[in-house]
Amino acid sequence: MQSTHEPLRETRRNWLRLAGTASAAGIAFLLTGSSQQLLAQSKDGDIGILSAALYLEQEAIAAYQAGAESKLLSPEVLTVAVAFQSDHKYHRDGISSVLKSLGVEPAPPEKKYDFGTLKTQKDILVLARNLEAGAARAYATLAANIMTKPVLNFGANVLVDEVRHRTVLNAALGVPNY
Amino acid sequence: MSTKMSRRTILQASALSVAGVSLGTALPAEAGKYAGDVAILNVALGLEQQAIAAYDAGAASKLLSPDQLKIAVSFQNDHKRHRDALTKLIKQFGGTPVAPKTSYDFGTITSAADIVKLAQSLEAGAEGAYLANAAKLDNPDILNAAVPILEDETRHNTVFQQLLGMNVTERLKY
Repeated sequence: MQSTHEPLRETRRNWLRLAGTASAAGIAFLLTGSSQQLLAQSKDGDIGILSAALYLEQEAIAAYQAGAESKLLSPEVLTVAVAFQSDHKYHRDGISSVLKSLGVEPAPPEKKYDFGTLKTQKDILVLARNLEAGAARAYATLAANIMTKPVLNFGANVLVDEVRHRTVLNAALGVPNY
Repeated sequence: MSTKMSRRTILQASALSVAGVSLGTALPAEAGKYAGDVAILNVALGLEQQAIAAYDAGAASKLLSPDQLKIAVSFQNDHKRHRDALTKLIKQFGGTPVAPKTSYDFGTITSAADIVKLAQSLEAGAEGAYLANAAKLDNPDILNAAVPILEDETRHNTVFQQLLGMNVTERLKY
């Protein structure tokens, strides 16, 4: 199973780097190239997307953890961060469970993430907003490539969470949502 | 009524209206393979038309602050864009777009808060309807068109929830 999905793992790494930097153009580019064949309309395609989504969720969980441990967040922002992290844990668990049901062992999170320098609450809010925006873009871009209806339904719900998070974080940063 | 309860009630109401419209909408024979998708698009179109009318009512009331009006105009523009995209898709897939109603009953509007509450409940209903139907869409082009609309409805709903001081840290149950 591992070796069969090695190309998908590589694809995942590639486009997730772009999602992490919120590059819609990058994701679109990958999807129009050979990756689109890799993410072909098949169970394997869903596995590739789910593996990629899992990576994003693990990254978001780690980012909120870094934010919470920084002690830079006000009590109100910390409450929001904990709630959003809990959503991402729910996504992670759901995705892991689907992957297992498809016979794939979910990849563990990275040992360490580089979130850059976090010196202020704003730094953390910007990081979280960028990750949420990247995740929303990734889910939205890949939705139509998902072949299994229950997976698509789960993905749509996750997308809604990511958009809600992004909207709230934008508001906290004073970035207009309209 | 808690936020969770009211949101669930709205979603149930929206699901009911989706079912109602679906049953009441005759499908053209040429809709063919994607007749189910076209039926969903027509329900969505009805929701977009209703939202456009609600924002018209809100703007016409002169009750909104300049900032609120700016949001309302921006969101109404989104709904007009959705309406046009849905209309095009429905025609493209052999369906007949539903016409807007000649009038909508939005209840009594006597304050800006009434308008924001109305808008929030409509946006929540639309979000729930797109979400409930996304995985039912069979055609990838239609799904690709619906997903950014779902994103817009979620954004609109969240903005109004924040304006109303509602809880935005609770995800929908799924």
